[in-house]
Amino acid sequence: MHSDGKPIAMMTAYDYPTAVACERAGVDMVLVGDSLAMVALGHQDTSQVTMDEMMHHSRAVARGTRSAFLVSDLPFGAYHADIGDSVRNAVRMVKEGRAEAVKLEGGRHFVSRVDAIVNSGIPVVGHIGLTPQTAVSLGGFRVQGKSVAAAQHLVDDALALQTAGCFAMVLEAMPSLVAETITRLVSVPTIGIGAGSRTSGQVLVMSDMMGIFDRFTPKFCRRFAELAPQMDAALVQYKTDVRARQFPEEGLHTYAMPAAAEDRWREHVLSAYGLDLDRVAEPAAQVHQQQHQRSSV
Amino acid sequence: MTSAAAKGSAVCMRAYSARPDSARDTLPGRTKVTVHALKKMHSDGKPIAMMTAYDYPTAVACERAGVDMVLVGDSLAMVALGHQDTSQVTMDEMMHHSRAVARGTRSAFLVSDLPFGAYHADIGDSVRNAVRMVKEGRAEAVKLEGGRHFVSRVDAIVNSGIPVVGHIGLTPQTAVSLGGFRVQGKSVAAAQHLVDDALALQTAGCFAMVLEAMPSLVAETITRLVSVPTIGIGAGSRTSGQVLVMSDMMGIFDRFTPKFCRRFAELAPQMDAALVQYKTDVRARRFPEEGLHTYAMPAAAEDRWREHVLSAYGLDLDRVAEPTAQVHQQQHQRSSV
Repeated sequence: MHSDGKPIAMMTAYDYPTAVACERAGVDMVLVGDSLAMVALGHQDTSQVTMDEMMHHSRAVARGTRSAFLVSDLPFGAYHADIGDSVRNAVRMVKEGRAEAVKLEGGRHFVSRVDAIVNSGIPVVGHIGLTPQTAVSLGGFRVQGKSVAAAQHLVDDALALQTAGCFAMVLEAMPSLVAETITRLVSVPTIGIGAGSRTSGQVLVMSDMMGIFDRFTPKFCRRFAELAPQMDAALVQYKTDVRARQFPEEGLHTYAMPAAAEDRWREHVLSAYGLDLDRVAEPAAQVHQQQHQRSSV
Repeated sequence: MTSAAAKGSAVCMRAYSARPDSARDTLPGRTKVTVHALKKMHSDGKPIAMMTAYDYPTAVACERAGVDMVLVGDSLAMVALGHQDTSQVTMDEMMHHSRAVARGTRSAFLVSDLPFGAYHADIGDSVRNAVRMVKEGRAEAVKLEGGRHFVSRVDAIVNSGIPVVGHIGLTPQTAVSLGGFRVQGKSVAAAQHLVDDALALQTAGCFAMVLEAMPSLVAETITRLVSVPTIGIGAGSRTSGQVLVMSDMMGIFDRFTPKFCRRFAELAPQMDAALVQYKTDVRARRFPEEGLHTYAMPAAAEDRWREHVLSAYGLDLDRVAEPTAQVHQQQHQRSSV
């Protein structure tokens, strides 16, 4: 696809149904992103999610994934302390998380880790630009590469990651021109998010593009659906119908005993409990009935 | 009030003394649903609306709609995790999802399922896992499946201070032994067993119980014989409340929709359309849209960048390359560097 100039469509998934949705739509690559820490788990940032949690979600996504290429993020801390950690956790993400490749954030300072993981036989997707796991040290969720010097650093990062063996890399939140520069200087696919249309492909966080995530929508995201208002309306309708006893509807959503059994049951309940099922009790009468039964048993 | 019901509510009141209403900041205008509030709804004949959630966004949706009770059901094993049944999900996994739901829950009363195996071996296991679900899973109450054979476990958990919701009728964790996902209580004898189960669970201290997949008449019988709220699913409208699996009622779950569920939304087709549109727009380079979804360097920096890239890499950024020309350009650069 890269050499044909055909843009690659990557989408995040964090559980079985989101994975199945990606599969039905035929996206090229599915990413189990650590963005799930925020959008699925409700944390304030991505730094808290653990390897076990990422593998748990990766497995759920894998169960719903057939044709797409599955990449899973190594979370913050999983590849930082030493090279041994990096390889062990990458292996776990493949063995236990069922990923086909792993993604990790960082540029030149992480080439030794990328190199080691690639040499162990696991494909690696790089990630440069805005790196959410270390947003604090970047001064927040800010666009990267806006000066010539900063842009040069990103180019150096990209070339280093390519040399280390990344087969693709995510470019996040940088000027379109810088992303284009990188895309034209490297020979591996670049997957952009907030990086313009002149990359080799795109990725978005599903909760953002579906209009599910309630806190904020990033500038670089388009909403392809507005699901939150519909979920709200559906739940409010459910609550209203329950309150009015309009759901469930007898005969449509319910079960019944065979007629003969039902007759015998009414007789049995009347004689055993003094409860008359023919009469549908009012709520207050229901309470009185229970009190009456308890005193007579 | 019977001694059993009194015991149940007394334990619940004791458990709640450590968790005052103000402990969870609720949305303006919405009061925290407590065991007392549920009792009052029951005695007022006001149907209780319970809904399942399995992560933060589903919990937040429940909170926005103001449902009374949120259940972290082990149905998530199938609808969120893609397993074939509910028997495989572990305590750690249930607590993980319970924590995520708790982060999004403020006013609703939060109940979490103890999964298959967590309360089966002995009473010690049951109490330990119930405690973990509260401590680590951040649940306010736990639900477990089973009738008369589980009263000792319910009793022990209630006595440790944790409210328990019972679950009788179709009990999915043991559907295999029931012969599949089948309606229960269709004969007089089977219905009597369910009534016995319900009364036993009440005596053991359940403050509420779920009735699943039974004839409406049987569910009504139970509801009128016990003094605690009954929450029905596939049990008719004459229970004290209702519960549904969110993925079913939202039209998300792809395998099947149970007979007893109404689809209040049809989200799967919309998710499909959104993803297909995304893929189409990416292929056509219509998304992202320059200027709308993108960033740019300051104009002066952009000029300097173009000059720099031209001199350092021989790459002319003014010209937007065709795909094959892009590849040639890269090959040209690599051979000239």
